[in-house]
Amino acid sequence: MEIGIEAINIFAGRAFMDVRDIFKNRDLELERFQNLMMEKKSVGLPCEDPVTNAVNAAKPIIDNMTEADKKSIDLLITCSESGVDFGKSLSTYVHDYLGLSRNCRVFEVKQACYAGTAALHMACAYVRANAFNSRALVIATDIARAAAKHTYAEPSQGVGAVAMLISRNPEVMELDYGANGYYSYEVMDTCRPLPEIETGDPDLSLLSYLDCLENSFKAYCDRVDGVDFRESFDYLTFHTPFAGMVKGAHRKLIRSLMKVSADEIETDFQKRVGPSLKYCVQVGNVYSATLYLALASMIDNAQIDNAKRIGLFSYGSGCCSEFYSGIVTPASKAKTAKMDMARHLSDRHALSIEEYDRLLDLNMEWTFGVRDKEMNFNAFSKIYERYMEGRKLLALKRIGKDWHREYIWT
Amino acid sequence: MTKEQIFELVKNSIREMVPEINTDNVRIEQSLRDLGVNSIDRMDIVIKCMEDLNLKIPLVEFGKVKNIAGIVELLYEKSTQ
Repeated sequence: MEIGIEAINIFAGRAFMDVRDIFKNRDLELERFQNLMMEKKSVGLPCEDPVTNAVNAAKPIIDNMTEADKKSIDLLITCSESGVDFGKSLSTYVHDYLGLSRNCRVFEVKQACYAGTAALHMACAYVRANAFNSRALVIATDIARAAAKHTYAEPSQGVGAVAMLISRNPEVMELDYGANGYYSYEVMDTCRPLPEIETGDPDLSLLSYLDCLENSFKAYCDRVDGVDFRESFDYLTFHTPFAGMVKGAHRKLIRSLMKVSADEIETDFQKRVGPSLKYCVQVGNVYSATLYLALASMIDNAQIDNAKRIGLFSYGSGCCSEFYSGIVTPASKAKTAKMDMARHLSDRHALSIEEYDRLLDLNMEWTFGVRDKEMNFNAFSKIYERYMEGRKLLALKRIGKDWHREYIWT
Repeated sequence: MTKEQIFELVKNSIREMVPEINTDNVRIEQSLRDLGVNSIDRMDIVIKCMEDLNLKIPLVEFGKVKNIAGIVELLYEKSTQ
């Protein structure tokens, strides 16, 4: 039975900041900018939260479905480390604003940046086992905390969501059944120990990511016969906190497996990994959604003239990791092209550093636990009017005295 | 291999991975970060040393070390086990 992703769409906010400008204005070492290999990062408006991003990513997928197909979605999983409540999951709001059937399971999963992969595989297993040809909707949605200002985390951490419809009609990517390698252990690399704090040891996280890549790939090879890292995968898509890290990881994995010259490694990186990075370098790290932003980028930007196998690596701090694979075809490309994701990314407001700082200050008014507060759209009217108003996007309007969030369609 | 020899091996790796660093002036109490080596190159240096010593140490163990002496110590400890 074919199982996998039937549709995918991204939402990466309505504004971006040039990463080089952040380095310049924060007096960060420019040399580190080059290592990041990042161009832009998405920045949220006060009226955008993990709920609106999730809904705005999924809405075009839902709008393209017949009523009967829409009703077949009886599982909705949100994946996030940016929740707005310890008990009530983001999925409850998302379910409501997408108008999904009430005969549906809704819940959320968390395991840092691995959460999207966890939910994808749980949803695929569910669809495979389900007696009713059901569909599942998986939405990975995360935002950088505004408190990251003036740290080296600031330039790379973005906002966004990726929605994936999971079914027995995997037009976007069919998963290779049983071809998964896992590697997990306890490590304190990066974490969110308080609602507004992102912290940790980025060096340790890089090292842990590399250990996990090597070992999850090894576990994959233990389960799948005849795997050759150079030959088995036409393209590679890795979790991309920043593109420079993926470059280092690709080089490290190849060198651990075979003797290859630096030139060959570079050529292989550009050819097999390059297409996955195009969107990532324009958005920044979107945590649980990052690997799937990279997948969308891969399908949109790679040459897919016949069936191609993609190797995917997911890593979530703490930590859990997985190497798995799937098949994409020219039909995948035709399907993702309908979402016009490249245009979505080019149609964002370029923030000046003043606007960016002002937005961060405004966003700090909407931290975890805020209640009884009305959105002042006038404070960012220029961006709102040009990039949100009239576009039928979901926006946060108010948080009630009872912490209930109320949204409007713009 | 003695610790002194391992220190020499680390310096060789630094020279190979980051040729612009003059390793004659490198002192064992310095950290690779002090020398201006970025995180990806630091990883490469450590991997090169492991290859030379035919060792397989989880990279996260190097996350705890503070300076080159720490790297030498860890490599020495594992190579004598």
